Amino acid sequence: MRSIAVILCLLTLALSSYAQDDDWEEWGDDEWSEVEEGGLQWNGFFELALGSRWDRDPQVERKQTLGDMRFRLETDWSSEKLSVGFKGDAWYDSYLEEFDGELRDLSLSFSPSSNLDMKLGRQVLTWGTGDLLFLNDLFPKDWVSFFAGRDDEYLKAPSNAVRATWYGEIVNVDLAWTPVFESDEYLTGERFSFFSPLAGQRIAPSPPLSGIEPDKDIDNGEVAVRLFKTFGGTEMAMYAYHGFFHQPTAFTDTFQPTFAPLTSIGASVRRPLGVGLFNAEAVYYASRDDRSGSDPYLPNDQARLLLGYEREAITNFTVAFQYYLEWTQDYSELLANSLAPVFEPDEYRHVVTGRLNYRLNQDKLTLSLFTFYSPSDNDFYLRPSVTYRYSDQWSVTGGASIFGGDDAHTFFNQFADNSNAYIRVRYNY
Amino acid sequence: MSKTWISAVAAALLAIGINVQAEPLTDADEIVSRANLAAYYAGADGRSEVRMIIRDAQGREQRRQFTVLRRDVEDGHDQDFLVVFSQPSDVRGTVFLVKKHVGADDDRWLYLPGLDLVKRISAGDKRTSFVGAHYFYEDVSGRGPDEDSHILTGTTDDSYVLEHKPLDPSSVEFESYVTWIDRETFLPMKIEYTNAAGRVYRRVEVIETQDVGGHPTVTKSRVSDLDGKGETNMEFRFIAYDIEIPADVFSERSLRRPPREWLKRPASEK
Repeated sequence: MRSIAVILCLLTLALSSYAQDDDWEEWGDDEWSEVEEGGLQWNGFFELALGSRWDRDPQVERKQTLGDMRFRLETDWSSEKLSVGFKGDAWYDSYLEEFDGELRDLSLSFSPSSNLDMKLGRQVLTWGTGDLLFLNDLFPKDWVSFFAGRDDEYLKAPSNAVRATWYGEIVNVDLAWTPVFESDEYLTGERFSFFSPLAGQRIAPSPPLSGIEPDKDIDNGEVAVRLFKTFGGTEMAMYAYHGFFHQPTAFTDTFQPTFAPLTSIGASVRRPLGVGLFNAEAVYYASRDDRSGSDPYLPNDQARLLLGYEREAITNFTVAFQYYLEWTQDYSELLANSLAPVFEPDEYRHVVTGRLNYRLNQDKLTLSLFTFYSPSDNDFYLRPSVTYRYSDQWSVTGGASIFGGDDAHTFFNQFADNSNAYIRVRYNY
Repeated sequence: MSKTWISAVAAALLAIGINVQAEPLTDADEIVSRANLAAYYAGADGRSEVRMIIRDAQGREQRRQFTVLRRDVEDGHDQDFLVVFSQPSDVRGTVFLVKKHVGADDDRWLYLPGLDLVKRISAGDKRTSFVGAHYFYEDVSGRGPDEDSHILTGTTDDSYVLEHKPLDPSSVEFESYVTWIDRETFLPMKIEYTNAAGRVYRRVEVIETQDVGGHPTVTKSRVSDLDGKGETNMEFRFIAYDIEIPADVFSERSLRRPPREWLKRPASEK
């Protein structure tokens, strides 16, 4: 209750400061005044987000999936030589019944030489060409937020990292070093259930699943490299990664879930094609401790391929499709040694995605539908959403996550009991 | 005697002057070409701060504020644009990079800072709203003169009046449009779009111009939806031309790290 009072109080303050600020139409000179060098401009939002399953999940006690009262604060400071960014969230999570905080950005950016940019500290890192499919982007994701219907921004979890980008004549080099491994926010059973091949059914363990993380020493850091360049309108990139799988898909000797060592190499291309955009990306995941694929406690090597095409079909209506393949290597070894062969994914797992996006009413109203469908697993995941940007301050988003399919163990259908709908109301200040 | 002589010379000079200044052009394509250069290619490069008030049919207002950097690859042809948003708060830090290609589709990228995502945007319809405003992308970066046929329909004391028809009518929402081009500056001062029913439904007009470093420059303009769906007012400030922005400012690097040295206001304009 106290949290509501605090948030209402802050909201009132923000509203009153906005009211005093409301003289743009005067076109007055003073309104152009940028923040003076060295000064700070604070921005952010308040957001109320609620979500619920429509059916009860037999594994999870509560029907509710989301209940956030969130406050965002962000600013940046710059001098001639360097800049500092800050972005932080504080919220009351009524599902977990606790206050939470997350520092999404606290970073120092500078350029030690004319063609080198450095960014040190907590930051969100992204690269690759996939739309909600990540091949070479092995930076941490927050799948819990994604499934619960938090803003898409929260799918990308921040890392404590050093990023160096060097711009050369022939190629640009991007290096991201994360000294301490950071896993995804994976499903633990606390909010959403998932399929356990060992239990042979969907579970929501209590206490929640907790993967054993690699020791926090320097050898267990993550290194990600990208070589990239745009030639004409064609963007080309090559990638490498050395670290760990970000989901606890491996097991220790005592059957504790853990993160297997991973090294990957890949490439991507993106360019205009006809009236649209074409992208292709490939990656090879080498499961370092199980190259032969015979260890049932460790994931096998995998090759992944993505092809995508996007175009504006009619004015303000964009259509995008992707084809995605996960090809598990040493598949016969996998089956021969598996503890639960019937629940192993197919050697070739195919997924197609579709994104329909329609902007109306001068971009104030956005209708969106993202569909994952796997013809090999025969399961699906639908993400419809509607966003109405009422004003520069107020916006409202409603949407759903809908999972379905034939078999309880397949990738999307394992989440079938988690299907939920959500609504978010945001005030930007 | 001498007085008469001076008057005669003065009258002659004046007559020459008027002739030099005001011999009206008669070639529509030449007028359009000069108007295109005056409106979109002033100087070899430039920067400006821009803000817009977008008023919808209900009178509700939204605002946008951004800084634009521009560099001409070749006068009258390809151009690079970098647009960095500062307001409102939910788009602050968003950066838009456009490589405009005359006669081909533009390359466009958008950087979303919350996701650290460099998003490529498909070519798409250029006659759609620019960031929610009544301005279209094409109003901001310019419509290629070769995309329409042009007829000079009249010459007034201060304007050339031209009518334009699209060569590919299926690619646009208008049937034709009429422009009033200033005879002296060649800036298009008013544009009215007519739909298939023969009704004027959209107007772009210049409210104020100023001389910036010898270039007549639009500093206030308005686009109105004449079907009662609101209007957008746009104002430009802190304009500078020929500031020698390097070509590599218009690259992916500037999406993640906006080039502060080029975005900051020129000292003399503060």
